[in-house]
Amino acid sequence: MRSFIRLCALAAAISAPVVLAAQDLAIKNATIITITRGDISNGTIVVRNGKITAVGGADVAIPAGVKTIDGTGKFVMPGIIDAHSHAALENGINEGSESVTPEVQVQLRNDDPVIYRALAGGVTAALLLHGSANTIGGQARIIKMRWGQPADSMYFKGAFRIVKFALGENVTQASSTTPVDEKRFPMSRMGVEFTVRYWFQKAKEYDQEWNEYRAAVKTSPNTIMPRRDLRLEALCDILHGDLKVHSHSYRADEILMLIRVAEENGFKVHTFQHVLEGYKVADEIAKHGAMASTFADMWGYKVEAWDATSYNMALMSQRGIVVSVNSDSDERIRRLYQEAGVGVRYGNMPVNEALKMVTLNPAKQIGVDKMVGSLEPGKDGDIAIFSAHPFAPDAMVEYTIIDGKVYFDRNQASTLRKIAGDSKGPGGTR
Amino acid sequence: MNRSTKQFAMAAALLALSSSRVLAQASAGDDGTYFIKGGTIVNPGGQRLVNTNILVRNNRIVEIGASASASDAKVIDATGKYIYPGMIDANTGLGLQDIGSVQTMSLRSELGDFNPHIRALVGLNVESELLGVTRMNGVTTVVTSPAGGTISGQAAMINTAGWNWEDLSVVKSAGMMFTLPGGGGRGGGGGGRGRGGATANPNLVSDFAQFMAESKAYDDARTAGATKLDLIYEAMRPLYHRDIPAIINANSQQDILAAIAFGEKWNLRVVIQGGADAWKVRKTLADKKIPVILSSLEAAPTDSVPYDEIYAQPGLLYDAGVKFAFSTGQGSNSRHVAFHAALATAYGLAPEGALKALTIWPAEIFGAEKEIGSIEKGKMANFFIVTGDPLDLRTQVSYVFIKGRDMPFDDRQTRLYLKYKGRPVPIKP
Repeated sequence: MRSFIRLCALAAAISAPVVLAAQDLAIKNATIITITRGDISNGTIVVRNGKITAVGGADVAIPAGVKTIDGTGKFVMPGIIDAHSHAALENGINEGSESVTPEVQVQLRNDDPVIYRALAGGVTAALLLHGSANTIGGQARIIKMRWGQPADSMYFKGAFRIVKFALGENVTQASSTTPVDEKRFPMSRMGVEFTVRYWFQKAKEYDQEWNEYRAAVKTSPNTIMPRRDLRLEALCDILHGDLKVHSHSYRADEILMLIRVAEENGFKVHTFQHVLEGYKVADEIAKHGAMASTFADMWGYKVEAWDATSYNMALMSQRGIVVSVNSDSDERIRRLYQEAGVGVRYGNMPVNEALKMVTLNPAKQIGVDKMVGSLEPGKDGDIAIFSAHPFAPDAMVEYTIIDGKVYFDRNQASTLRKIAGDSKGPGGTR
Repeated sequence: MNRSTKQFAMAAALLALSSSRVLAQASAGDDGTYFIKGGTIVNPGGQRLVNTNILVRNNRIVEIGASASASDAKVIDATGKYIYPGMIDANTGLGLQDIGSVQTMSLRSELGDFNPHIRALVGLNVESELLGVTRMNGVTTVVTSPAGGTISGQAAMINTAGWNWEDLSVVKSAGMMFTLPGGGGRGGGGGGRGRGGATANPNLVSDFAQFMAESKAYDDARTAGATKLDLIYEAMRPLYHRDIPAIINANSQQDILAAIAFGEKWNLRVVIQGGADAWKVRKTLADKKIPVILSSLEAAPTDSVPYDEIYAQPGLLYDAGVKFAFSTGQGSNSRHVAFHAALATAYGLAPEGALKALTIWPAEIFGAEKEIGSIEKGKMANFFIVTGDPLDLRTQVSYVFIKGRDMPFDDRQTRLYLKYKGRPVPIKP
């Protein structure tokens, strides 16, 4: 009864008939970046039935008949995970009519070419979020980039349920040219804070009403059931920890505000999104137990992005926050590995800590780190194969693999060199 | 000393002295004599000079080689490091705009369709926070351009540090920005990739034809000795005399060919700006020696093209012999133009082509090759010292020299970094 929406999702999952094409695959002679167990040179990785069964050196046996990719000179890493995207969504990403709409959910469009282009950049999973028009926006979808599959078969089973909050300029329509008397509440950061407090007060009262009803109905079967409210039900899911809060945020003041409002009302901010000034309140974020998903280098495009810095990733990591770097863009999703590397250029993050920002850390933020995010036996066979180290200037994705199945193969792809009929010149064949 | 240790040293210096005094001295670098010893010079198209020295005096490189020395110089040890010519972003709004969403901080466009008399140079704010952030990643020079209209105005080639816009200037008038009417451009300087569009003025095509004819007639009259000045037409004269290029925003194959034809009709030096479809006409561009300023590679392709078109195009242009440069089109991440070049390298651009397109080619395109674009005796001392290939994300920037000045790492982002890196852990109540 707690969550009608969750029941619907469960029903959909049960009725989905598609059996995914999990496959067997091996890669040998490659440098394997495991993320959790260091790098292995001349390594072998074996995937059976969609799951990794072995990761190790040249001595790892590849079962007979398993399709094997020769990884000589190549770098193998976990499939890249984007913890903030709006790709592949149908008919808009903002239910902007009201400022509090956690009862709605974004809808997947499985034929968006961005899915394919993201695969070509090594991306295997993404969190598809509601936009930032609302203080409390709609619920997200989490997908594996199973290009060509029905929408139902792209959902990442076992991932969190996530809802988007938003603070600051976007939700207050600060840069909108709408006349003041036509604007929607809230139009200031002060109003945003009150909006969150007001709605969680209502949610707590609603929760109490239902608790009282459930207790009473045991002894008095004729007790009248309270009127259901899907909006308040979703807020109760947040209070109970069943629906995780990912909050769009920029400035330190609003980040600290949401932490305190959450603590006063008994819920947790699971992950701050953007969090461009997170470095200013890193200790407070860490103490609350929130994670952070940020941009690598976006800054200066609006006032609340003026104090953004590429050192944010390094500074937040140093203070113990689990940091991911996300795309929030159909362009950056093509080269998230480069975005992660910006964390090395600014603040000199250890290379594998930087790579965690597009693998294990976003996996934690969307609740799938037991399944993906590192190359270990038992995890899903979600793998990206690069031509060079992902931070090197000649790094290009050659294969992207999900559940042991090759979804992107550069050899099979339509490339500019093939279209141009100019396969080899002084620059080579790539 | 890598970047972070240099930052720590700076932080220590800030603690030791009055910070306002230090920053006041440091804000535009120090015109001194510098002896950079033991580094490896990597020049575009040239051999690496291993374990060599550079002597910098009065803003210029005065000597290069193992035997160079100076007793009065500040010595910088570059042993084990690499010295690259300062990188160039060939189209930006740097100095003209700071926060894009704030109109008063983003004055890049003038009213009107034909603005050849508008000059980017005189509207540049040397204290723009964007300039500081840009230079600290080794981008020492950018072209900054007006936007909007059919003739947007004159671009300037500037260094990313200096005391005022005159000090900043490398080429005062580096080119005239055009977006031809009837084509598909989306504004002169914005770096758009549009391949189709419309204009608000229904008579723009004929108005523009008339403007060109009248300004050419004016130029002919002036050449013949007429003395009466028209400031607007006068601004067109360097174009007709081929002293500056016409930088024409063109992305579709059709628009690029139209831009070439326009240049031939009026006998202009044409540079293509944008060039999304340049690879389709690369042999024409190579034969006619028409260079291309590529718009940002950090862009998503249209649905009908190969997924790697944007990344792979520079390699095709290089192989075909087309001269080109990279550009970010904007300001805040001009600092990362090298990462555009890295994408191009990954998808088939020869590494020496990437380095040329970041340094000597944009210098040549804008007529600054005698001043910048490579590390050579007599040139302006624009270079940076790094731990490895600047296109590699793992490389750390150790020093940036602009016009012979050792630039301090006191840009907005580094200041905030140092301040909050040093924040004490909050005391538990």
